Amino acid sequence: MNLQLKKILYNLSALADLGQEITSAEKFNTQIRAALYVIMGTFIAVKGAILFYQRDQASLVTLSSKGFDGTWPEQLPVAVEQIAGLEKNRPYTLGDGRQPEILAEEGQDAKWLETVRAAGAALLVPLWTRDRFVGALFLSEKLGNERYTPEDFDLLRLIAHQMAITLHNHELFADLTRQVEENRRLYDQMRRIYHDTIQAFAAAIDAKDVYTKNHSYRVARYVVAIGRELGWAEQEIEGLYIAGLLHDVGKIILRDEILKKQSPLSQQERDEVQRHSMVSFDILSKINFPWANIVSTVRHHHERLDGNGYPDALKGEELSEGEKILILADSFDAMTTDRPYRKRLDLRAALEELTRNIGTQFDPRIMTAFCNVLDKEINHQLPNPDILPHLASDFDPSIIVSMLRAITQQLST
Amino acid sequence: MENFDVESKRVDDVAVIYPKGYLNNIVGEKLEKECTAFIDRGILKIVLDFHEMEFINSIGISLLLSIIERLRTSKGVLCFSSMKKAHRDVFEMLGLTKYVLVFENEAEALKRLQDGTAS
Repeated sequence: MNLQLKKILYNLSALADLGQEITSAEKFNTQIRAALYVIMGTFIAVKGAILFYQRDQASLVTLSSKGFDGTWPEQLPVAVEQIAGLEKNRPYTLGDGRQPEILAEEGQDAKWLETVRAAGAALLVPLWTRDRFVGALFLSEKLGNERYTPEDFDLLRLIAHQMAITLHNHELFADLTRQVEENRRLYDQMRRIYHDTIQAFAAAIDAKDVYTKNHSYRVARYVVAIGRELGWAEQEIEGLYIAGLLHDVGKIILRDEILKKQSPLSQQERDEVQRHSMVSFDILSKINFPWANIVSTVRHHHERLDGNGYPDALKGEELSEGEKILILADSFDAMTTDRPYRKRLDLRAALEELTRNIGTQFDPRIMTAFCNVLDKEINHQLPNPDILPHLASDFDPSIIVSMLRAITQQLST
Repeated sequence: MENFDVESKRVDDVAVIYPKGYLNNIVGEKLEKECTAFIDRGILKIVLDFHEMEFINSIGISLLLSIIERLRTSKGVLCFSSMKKAHRDVFEMLGLTKYVLVFENEAEALKRLQDGTAS
């Protein structure tokens, strides 16, 4: 085989090496470093660098450099006009002591060229895709200062084209990534605003009735605790939390005299109070929530398992799990807080009251989950308790825990 | 899976380095690092013995170039030994062999370096 043929074969296999490296699964910077090695190995260049054009900084930024021993700049300020006149993907010699070819052509005073020549670059290849300048390849003289041949230049053009496409693809991908990140940031911001608005809304409801101050917030925390104990997905739990916060929004129509009345309510006043869950439903059904069940959960938070609740007198399995959770959490908070017409029950009495109404008002599965999560919170098994911080501390933990275990034991048989 | 590795030993003031397997990707940087580590410690006579090197491509060539250049600038001596014919052909075609001393095997390279006639 003659030398010329051997050289052609070597160059062909180098092109194949390049293709392999720029399509490998390695990280972008590793791909570029490997590509630079291929190019330097192909042309026996002892120094080389690949830079990409950072448009917003009007600079060429080094992606990879080799052989310069620390003398190669990280960043080269270069205006695109200084490059624009150069032929796409064509190798330009930077001259060895003579006037550099580029300066001769463009008559430019380019400090960046002096910098790279001083570092040892002898060849510049501007990297272009069809109409976009994306970067530059620099190579030193060959080992032993041999000259680049016209064949070398032909091959370099091919390689430059490949490298340009690689850099351009990376640029597109980086833009896309930036956009996705920006969208995510905006989404998070919107979500925060959304939550803050709902919280403010709930606080407004709670503020109307001093006796039930923070009721919505506590109920929201309780339903989250129970939902999580039942293995709900976080996304669904978020919907349950919103339902907890907004379930009493209909109370906004109630007169203060009714809310603060200490004597028993008349039938007409009771009817008025009972309208609040329908009003909550009416208000919220105008909002397009990302969670499908919020409005029906809110509507049914005063239903009972035995069908004696309101407004729709739903029974047993007609109620969804979320509705049953909210029914229990709402009642539990009502029991454990002072009302105008009665003092609060202590925890033990409240648990007895809940237990008495299992099967008629409350679902045994939900009660079991509630007891289990409260047990875990009392025994410090949950890092961020949702229920315990809102309860008065006038109870004996060991008595409550035995009680909770007795209830769940009984419910499991 | 990495299919390239480097081993080395020290014989007096000479380092003998064995590239093993496929010198055809970025993992081959190990070879350059190994050589640089010796040069940095003042060992400027290096034998690269290729008897366990299976394959080399343009990436491997660029790493050898770096080693050649590093020893040239430090006024050291680089020997290639036990090259397979195919590898030797490539090195010759690219002109690398003009800048190194070529030996049939490691023993000959060591003998020459230790005679002190190589530098």
